This record gives sequence, structure tokens and C-alpha cells, in this order.
Amino acid sequence: MISIKQIISWKTALFILMLLPMMLGLGYGLLYSFGVIGLLNTGFTTEHWSDVLLNFNFWKSLLFSFGIGLISVGISLVIALWMVVNWHHDLRKGKLSTLIYLPLAFPATVVGFFIFQSFSKTGFWSRLLYQTGVISEIEDFPSLVNDAYGIGIILASTFIITPFLSLILKGIFENEDVTRFQHIAKSLGASQRQVLVKITLPILLQKAKTSLLLFLIFVIGSYEIPLLLGRQNPKMITVAIVDKAQRFNLDDIPQAYAMAIVYVLFLLFLFFGFQRLAKLKTKAYA
Amino acid sequence: MRKQIGQSIVGFIILFPIVFLLILSFGKQWFYPHILPNLWQTSQWESLFSPSFQLTKSLGLSLLLSISVGLVSTVTAFYFSKKIAYSYNKTTWLSLAYVPYLLSPIIFAVLIHFYFLKTGLSGSLLGVIIAQFLICFPFGIIICSTFWTAQIQSLENLSSTLGGSSTQTLKRVLLPLAKSTLLLCFFQCFLISWFEYGLTHFIGAGKVKTLTVSVFSYVNEANPFLAALAGFLLILPSVLLLLANKKLIFKTSNKRPDYE
Amino acid sequence: MKNLLVLFASSLLFISCQSSSETKPLNLDDYTWKDIKAEGQAQEMTMMMWKGDPKINVYMQEYIKPKLLKKHNIDLTIVDGQGNYIVQMLMAELQAGANTSEIDLMWINGETFYQLRQIDALFGPWTSKLPNASNIDFENPFIGKDFQQAIDGYEMPWGNVQMTLIYNQDKIQQPPQTRAELLSFVKEHPGKFTWNNHFTGLTFMKALLMDIAGGAEVLKGEFNEDLYAKYSDELWIYLNQLKPYLWRQGEVFPENVAQMHQLFANGELLFTMSNNDAEVDNKVEEGLFKKSSRAYVPEFGSIQNSHYLGISKLSKKKLSAMLVVNELISEENQLEKMKPSVWGDGTVLQVSKLDSVFQKKFNSIAQRHYAPPREDIQKKALPELAPEYMIRLAEDFKKNLID
Repeated sequence: MISIKQIISWKTALFILMLLPMMLGLGYGLLYSFGVIGLLNTGFTTEHWSDVLLNFNFWKSLLFSFGIGLISVGISLVIALWMVVNWHHDLRKGKLSTLIYLPLAFPATVVGFFIFQSFSKTGFWSRLLYQTGVISEIEDFPSLVNDAYGIGIILASTFIITPFLSLILKGIFENEDVTRFQHIAKSLGASQRQVLVKITLPILLQKAKTSLLLFLIFVIGSYEIPLLLGRQNPKMITVAIVDKAQRFNLDDIPQAYAMAIVYVLFLLFLFFGFQRLAKLKTKAYA
Repeated sequence: MRKQIGQSIVGFIILFPIVFLLILSFGKQWFYPHILPNLWQTSQWESLFSPSFQLTKSLGLSLLLSISVGLVSTVTAFYFSKKIAYSYNKTTWLSLAYVPYLLSPIIFAVLIHFYFLKTGLSGSLLGVIIAQFLICFPFGIIICSTFWTAQIQSLENLSSTLGGSSTQTLKRVLLPLAKSTLLLCFFQCFLISWFEYGLTHFIGAGKVKTLTVSVFSYVNEANPFLAALAGFLLILPSVLLLLANKKLIFKTSNKRPDYE
Repeated sequence: MKNLLVLFASSLLFISCQSSSETKPLNLDDYTWKDIKAEGQAQEMTMMMWKGDPKINVYMQEYIKPKLLKKHNIDLTIVDGQGNYIVQMLMAELQAGANTSEIDLMWINGETFYQLRQIDALFGPWTSKLPNASNIDFENPFIGKDFQQAIDGYEMPWGNVQMTLIYNQDKIQQPPQTRAELLSFVKEHPGKFTWNNHFTGLTFMKALLMDIAGGAEVLKGEFNEDLYAKYSDELWIYLNQLKPYLWRQGEVFPENVAQMHQLFANGELLFTMSNNDAEVDNKVEEGLFKKSSRAYVPEFGSIQNSHYLGISKLSKKKLSAMLVVNELISEENQLEKMKPSVWGDGTVLQVSKLDSVFQKKFNSIAQRHYAPPREDIQKKALPELAPEYMIRLAEDFKKNLID
């Protein structure tokens, strides 16, 4: 009997499964966006690309997603660091150690729905404030979902990321034996503040940096949450691309592919650029 | 004292959504400014026990889909992670495994939809399984890679020096040792699939009605009560898994692959 | 590595040479209705429609679906999707050279019909084959023409509705009747008025456009760029006057009618709108709207249009789809659909053509409680404009108001 192994090597197999689909997708998108294929396309043109690259709203969407990502990861990081530094005992044992795992069970879809139902102008909190007399009409409640600053999206993303990040930081805290370093520093006369700034934070951040980058990319690429909590302008990049692909105007579809390609390149650049940077830094220290 | 207050707040933030969804799933009418629904019903929960109810079907379908994706991804990921672990380009392959994760699943779906249409896989359960598998198994490789430490590799060598066939080595030595890694990988992939909406909706063409797809269609129907019920069902299996063993969902060890 | 590149290149090549494995096109001339019935029965098929209304879903899932199963052994799967989604999907299928379609039957109208014809994604002509088609009121311009376009046998009328505005009579005694009144009303009640970002909102804006142009006659016929430019400029001026007083200062619009209905139900909005004149009755009965809710058509009028059923060109179940459509336009099913407690969708049948029993039944359908009688709003009915108007309005609305 001839096994598959003899026909193709594992490298080819892995390439086919892991990278080929994406490359084919990008190839198709490229051909489509340049007008080479596609039902309504008439031949090679760079028109769609210039439309996209010169479109202010496209760059705004990309930047908006990036900004929302940075803010969400930033807030999560502060909360997670604070919890791990102050509560690392409770995170290891007791109620909190189980509770912190619970949000991991929440899909983005459910978090988005929950945030909408509780934070919208007619949501749970608005009702509570109305009943307690804090606000006297619906308009007094601030716009927290479908708002201009992406507050709803940030709330939802932070809710999802923070527990993950706390667990990762907690893991680092234990594995790197931060407590021991803290003790040594203290016995050498370091103040509480010095221990935090010079010992604890640098160790945690250094080890968590790749995870932080991955969370940033997760938020930038999230789709369900902005779909439920975002608005027409500014729009998160994923929603903008899908929207363009399913617009009224069929002539817009090539632009959707061009946008998708720029988006993919942006993320690849972000990820591998960061890897390269981190590598160089490590070498420089060595 | 301050700590207790702080932890109570964290506890509230975590538990409130679950309670909120549960309450809403019994609602029938919820006029402003009632804090809780002003009319209640149990009929939604009751119809869950009827096999013709859309949500019941979605629950079954989601289970079938996610278990399939989890199983196939785990087996594939385990196989390739071993090959990668023994190869020279280990770091390159591992960092490439991050790439499918980098693209948001929905953008991946937009780009590859054409091929699914071409092969007639679009709109079918099999198509969605394949699409989700393409996202999940590279992630599984990253998880499984943590297993192939130098110690495991030398154990494997030892087994074959002592005359064990490769099947025997796999069955008697590797699989028992890898059990926890495999379970972690399975549940991670299961959850990615279970939580997925954008790609499922796009490749499934609305025909593969998983629970996440149901939540969105109830939201579009302005039926928050059924959406809440569907949402509650979505968090249920992972909550149960967590209660059974939280290590199955998330492992915080230092054995994360270091590809720098 | 070299091998991998070869593999990639050959796969790309595979895209460009699309196999056109076209099966023999279906020629309806070869079929009598009896043949269609025999071949179309006992199949599974998929219908795509807008599923944003629970009542409509119940009618289709629990009334029509079991009936089809019993009568023709057809198992109908209903999936969610409308307008541009359908167009995008069928276009993707044609591009991929798929040999069958995800969708057999679909609920469409207006600009979707126009775009589907543009990319040649619809099967037809087929409508004259159906026995029940003889009862359809094709003479009625609101039914026989879809957005000023001839149907040409490529879609079958299914229902007829008129757009209304919905308000709460406890809160508003005199709803605005003209553009000027609407403007001053919105200024007096800032943050309480908006329209949605989709079909219903666009239909509302089209009525305003016609009012600005000085009546439906002006914009009749094919799309006219000059007229559009002239009157739409005025429309954006008017809407920008409204903008600061709209819900959320007009910076965001509800994504769909369901969201707008909820905002209205919760009192965040004083008005909601519906493309279905009977919807207010349904929503009150459902418990979403208060009993003091009322629908009305302002003096400047509102658009009346029909929705249709189309069959996709790549469908392998065209005959089954025709069987299903024949059922959907039967007297009995049209009657059920028209009941305000069921859906409240206006019939496309010419009632005077029916036998006396059905004539009686249609004429004695329970009256609507919260919407004005059809005859009353019919006087203010505006015809649809050519589809390009809607496509352009959708684009320019984004440009001029949202961005």
C-alpha cells in the first residue's frame, strides 16, 4: 500500500493546508482588484486601487481600528497588571481564581449583545438610573454604544481580553518567580515603588509582549463586536471591507478586495515587523 | 477591606452578564423604564425541548460542527507539530502558523469564498467545517508544539532503541504523555469554532445556522429575548467545561513556544 | 520551496481558466404544467428572504412550509438575506462558474431585480406558466411594474404594500404633514426623529425627493442624471437642515427597521416607519408597540410598491420553485397573508376576477385597528422610481450625511 507520505512530503502537505488557501485568496483578490477577473470588470485597471488608496475613509477606518485596539489592550493591561500585582495570591486560590476563568466562556457575539442591552440609551443601566432618579429622560444617558469614539467596542473588547491577559501575567508571575526577586530587592533596601517599577513590571511586560501584540491584532480583526456596537462612521476596518463587498453598487466590489489586501499586508507587517524588532533588540543586549 | 470591595466588583462584572442573559431569556415584553421585563414567559425554554424548534436544531448543529472541527484539527495539528519539532526550520514554520490567526476569519472568508463556490462547498456544513479547520489547526500546531520537548524526543528515541515499533511508541509512550496537551488543543479548537460568527455566516451562506448565527438573526428581528436564550446556550458548554477543569480551556505555563 | 511556488502558480492558473461546464438550459416550452408538477415535487429547496419580522417568519415557517410538504412533498429551507446580499452571492456564483446555486427562490424587488438582470442571474421568463398567474393584477401599475421596469416574466408579484410613518397618538396629536411641518416638528423635538440606513429609510427619502421635484410625474421613466442632480441637491440641503435635530444629531442612523422599532417602542424616538402599511397592527399585537400607536401617510405621500419572487438561473430546482410560487400566489395563501394578525401584506390578486366566495372573503378581512384603511392611503400613493435613483441615493446619502 502506498501511503500519502510517499506521494507528498509533510512540508508540501502543511503548505497546502496552512498557507496555500490564504495565498490563493490573496491572489484572487489581487486579480479582482486590478480588474483582470470579475463579472463586471472590463480588463486591467489601477482605478480601484487608486480609489482605495486615495479614500480618506479607508485610512480613517484602518487607523480607527488600530486606535481602538491600542486603547482596549492598554486598559486591559493596566487592569490585569493591577490585579496580578496586588492579588496574585487570590488569583491562585479561592473564588477569584475560578471566577477569572469564567469570561473565557463568552463569545464575542454574546459580549456584544450584552453590552448593547445593558449600555444603550434604553439599556439596563439607563433604566436603573432613571428609576433611581439620577436621570429624568432617556436623552440624559450618554451614548455608549454606536458612538463616535467606539466606547462600546472598547468596553466589549476590554471585557474579553482582560481575563486572558490576567491569566497570562499570572502565569509569568509564577513561572518567573517574581516573588523571589521582589524579596531579594526588598532585602537590599529597595522601596515598594522601586520594586514595582524596576523589578515586577519589567519582568511581566518583557515576557508578555508577544501576547500583547496578538491581542492588539485580535481587536483590530474583530468583526462581531463592531457589527453590533459600531456605527456607520467611523467604521472598523473589518466591517468596512465586508460592507464594501456587499454594497448596493456592484462596481465597488473590486475596491473591497483591494482594501482586504492592504489590511492583510498591514497586519503581516505589524506582526513580522515586531518580531524582527524584538529579535534585533535581544541581539543587541546579548 | 479595600481588596474585598475590589474583588466583589470584579466578581459582579463577571457574573452579571450571565444572570442578565438568563433573566432576559424569560422575558416577553420590556418597556422602558422597567428594570426587569414587565411580561414574562417560559415558552421559549419549553420549546427548546421540541426537536423542531430552530434553536434546538442550531444547538445540535453547533455541537456537531465544533466537535468535528476540534477532532480533525487536533489530530492534524499533533501530526504536523511533531514534524515541525524535528525539522530544521522549526521557528519559521511556527511563526508562519500564526498567519491564519493574524487575518481576521471574516477577511479570510471574503478572500477564499470564491474557491468554496467553485467546489460547491459554500453553503454546506462540510464547507464550514473545512473553513473553520483552516483557521483552527495552525492554532492547534502552536499549542501542540509545547509538547515536543527535548525530554519527549529522547523518550521516543529510547522506545525505538528498545525495539518498539512506531505505532507502539505512539500508543504506549507518546499519547499517554500528550493527553493533557491534546485535550487542551481539542477544547481550544472547539471553542474557536463554537464562538465563530463572521466566517461561518459567510461560507455557510446563512444556511448553516449555528448558535452564533442565530443570535444575530434574532437581534435583526429585534427579539432580544430569543437572542438572550441563544446567547445563554452559547456560554453554557464552556462554563461547564470550566467547572469540570479549567486547565482544559486555558493553560498558563511557561511552555508557550518561543520562536524569537 | 520551488515545488511550492509551482503549486501556487498552477492553482492561480486554475482560476483564470474557468471551466464552463454548463448543463443544458431548461426550456420551459417542453413542459406542460402537469410535467412541472410531476418533476418539481418531492425536492428539497432553498428560499432566501428578508427575515427581519417574526410574524412573516411564522407565516412562512409554520403555515406555508408544512403545506408545501404535504401537498407537493417539497421541503423548503428558508434562509436570511436580502437585496445586495443576494446580488453579491449570485454574482459570486456566476464568477466561480458554480454549477448550482445556493438559492433557488428569492424575495426581491426594485433595484435588486435590476441588478440581477444586469448580471443575468435570473431565470426566465417563467411566470406565465403558472396557472394561478391568471389572477394576478398585472394591469395595476403598482404591481405590473417594478421600479418602472417591465417584469418580462422574470419575477412574480407576491405582495403589495405602502410605506407609512408610525407615531404614538398619546404623545403627538397632529403629526407633521408637509416637509416644512416636519422640519419645524423635528426642531421642536430634537433627537426624536430618524430613518434607517436601509430600504425603508431610502424609500422615505425617495418620497421626499419626489415632493421636492413637484410630484411623481417629474421623475417618471428612466433614470435622468440631470433631474437627479438638480433635485437631490435640494434634498441634501433639506436633510442637512434636519440633521442637527435628528436622533444622535444625525451622525448615525439605525442599521435596520427592527432597531428603529425598538427605539420607538422604548420612547427614544417619536416616529418609526414601515414599508408595510399593516405592520403597526402586527407590532401592537406582538406587544412591542403600545396600543396608542398609529400609522399614517403624510400629505406629501409615500411610496407604494410590490415585492416579487425570482428564481436563480443556476438553480437546479427551478420547477420546484415554480410550484412553490404557484402556491404562494394562490387565493387561499394570499388571503391568509393579508390578515392583519398574520402579516397584513396586501394581495397582488385582482379580487374582482376571483370566484364569489373568495371575493367575499377578501372583502371581509378583519379591519386594521391601528393603520388607516388601504383605500384612504391609496390616494397618497407614489409610484416607485427607476432603480438607479435608489442606488444613487444610497451612495450619496452616505457621502452627504454620514461621512
